[in-house]
Amino acid sequence: MPLAYTSQRVAYPYFVIALLLFALQVIVGIWLALSYAVTIPQGLVDILPFSTTRAIHTNLLVLWLLLGFMGTTYFMIPEETEREIFSALLAYLQLAILAGTGVTAVVGFLFGWTKGKPLLEIPFPLDYLVVVGALIFLFNVGMTILRAQRWTVVQGSLFGGLVFLAVMYLFNLPFYANLSIDWYYWWWVIHLWVEGAWELVAAALTAWILIKITDVPRELVEKWLYVELGLFLFTGIAGTGHHYYWLGAPKYWLWVGGIFSALEPLPILLMVLDAWHYIRNRRDGIKGRLVFTLAVGMSILHFVGAGFWGFLHTLPQINYYTHGSQVTVAHGHIAFFGAYVLLNIMFFYYAMPKLKGLAEFDERRGTLAFWWMSITMMLMTLAFSVAGVLQTYIERVMGLGYMTAQAQMRFWFAILVFLGLSLLGGVILTVLDLLTLRPAPAVAQSGPAVR
Amino acid sequence: MTNKLAKLIFYLGTLISLVLFLALTFDTHRQIQTLTHADQLSEQVVAGKQVWHKYNCNDCHTILGFGSYYGPDMTRVYWRRGSEGIKAVIRSPEKFTTWRKMPRLPVTDEELEELVAFLRWASEIDTHGWPPQDQKLRGETGRAAALGVSPGAVLFQEKGCFACHRVYGTGGQQGPELTHVGSRLSYETIEKVLTDPRSASPRATMPPPVVSHEERDQLAAFLAGLK
Repeated sequence: MPLAYTSQRVAYPYFVIALLLFALQVIVGIWLALSYAVTIPQGLVDILPFSTTRAIHTNLLVLWLLLGFMGTTYFMIPEETEREIFSALLAYLQLAILAGTGVTAVVGFLFGWTKGKPLLEIPFPLDYLVVVGALIFLFNVGMTILRAQRWTVVQGSLFGGLVFLAVMYLFNLPFYANLSIDWYYWWWVIHLWVEGAWELVAAALTAWILIKITDVPRELVEKWLYVELGLFLFTGIAGTGHHYYWLGAPKYWLWVGGIFSALEPLPILLMVLDAWHYIRNRRDGIKGRLVFTLAVGMSILHFVGAGFWGFLHTLPQINYYTHGSQVTVAHGHIAFFGAYVLLNIMFFYYAMPKLKGLAEFDERRGTLAFWWMSITMMLMTLAFSVAGVLQTYIERVMGLGYMTAQAQMRFWFAILVFLGLSLLGGVILTVLDLLTLRPAPAVAQSGPAVR
Repeated sequence: MTNKLAKLIFYLGTLISLVLFLALTFDTHRQIQTLTHADQLSEQVVAGKQVWHKYNCNDCHTILGFGSYYGPDMTRVYWRRGSEGIKAVIRSPEKFTTWRKMPRLPVTDEELEELVAFLRWASEIDTHGWPPQDQKLRGETGRAAALGVSPGAVLFQEKGCFACHRVYGTGGQQGPELTHVGSRLSYETIEKVLTDPRSASPRATMPPPVVSHEERDQLAAFLAGLK
């Protein structure tokens, strides 16, 4: 089965690099869990401190997710606009710039070259190269849409989300002398990315996949997309306030942040119901059972992670005790996995067979890997949560020392080392499977009976 | 739901949230100057923030609760350890850590002073009482500081003297006002009264304070100084 548009092929190297960085991210993550569980000798800590490996872990996450989104966009936009990509060459150039910058930054961290701001450690002038890469991307996609003159809501949401994403990164560039103002705008990048711009991208990609794998009318999907986007932005923008409770901002943020962020699970719930509704009311069979499994699994874990685990500690009365503890870590892991990791993997499984010219492929390994990773991640979330509750109670409620609490949490980090190894197994299986997709066995069969 | 309504939800929802958010951001910028006492942002404090970034402290420690969770929160570290304590840990972390290590960083003496200035400034940010675990420190450090200056003043507070006596507008009114007691009574007289209140007046109802000899002398010194 040939590709509808030859320039869709540019997505392939994006996917391959993203997948390799994903595996690397998880390997570094296991080291982080180990650093919590056992004593790392002083000599090694002096050369390779926790701060360095933590920066690598988080930057690899952001880098591979963004490369995944970009590859996905390049795969989708020709079909959506019914035009070839404006310039395939620019797409490759952009990949070289962004992946090159990212890898340089990660190596730089090892030598202490850092901006020293969590999650946004990429130092000057590399951060400006990121902007250049993003501008090339927006130009390339924008020109494709502009020349096609075929306006759809899905395109609009996707492109809007990407522009929003790029604009927000700019708030990371200046140096803020006041620590409180620094963190105020840090959240304009981080929060408005994951609970704003990235949600627009995710909603658009999910809508597009649903149009492709079910036969539900586009008008219906696009109508509900409007409602979802409206709710995402209504709750998400003012919901930024749930990060402003304790940073030196006025007290009204406790009200605004509490109320708006408590509503944040609603649009995600709508997305779950939406996907479920389309899939149940389809007329034909599902085209590609694994992609369907991933779509449902993604929306459910998106709700569990971003919605439920977020809601648990978003109200100021609770957040006063949980803020800056392992409870945040539990939420961070399951939210990123449910919302954005599975989204990327779903799309990889949709696009990779087509990029390799396979009409149908053997879905057994991929399905096994999905369940393996999802169950492991759910267990990891529970382990982080137990550690977080211990920390909250011992350190913040009882008022005992920081290390006293950490000693009680150590056991759970030892568990997390093993869960991390298990996750790595699932990730390696996913990566290998995607890179070596095999045609479906000749016997007609629909997916394995893993469920 | 009609298409029109769906679009309305999108535009209205986004607009309301955005306008509210930007308006509050504008107001926050005005108020944050006071809440963070931005007038105290000296060059040394700002240089200290750069030191904080340079050594990537924030990827192990949180500050204002943000960052990484591998080490304790730094918002109120100045209350916990004071400037000399902070310097000692950074100079030789291996002496202060047990099973979880902090790297030995090549921080210069000048950078150390700047970092302490930054952490001292940060410790005064109005965080609405966060973090909970450091809240009680405020009183304790206040007490420690006062103890260094005047142990008698601390005893006056701790032994409950304020219940009956008033000093500079604070305290009860059953007993005599003590704001200028040092100009009326000598150190020796005060010491006698503290040992046996009736030595000053047979009708005195004050119970003799439960204090050691040393504490009594400290109290007397404090009161004699109130002139």
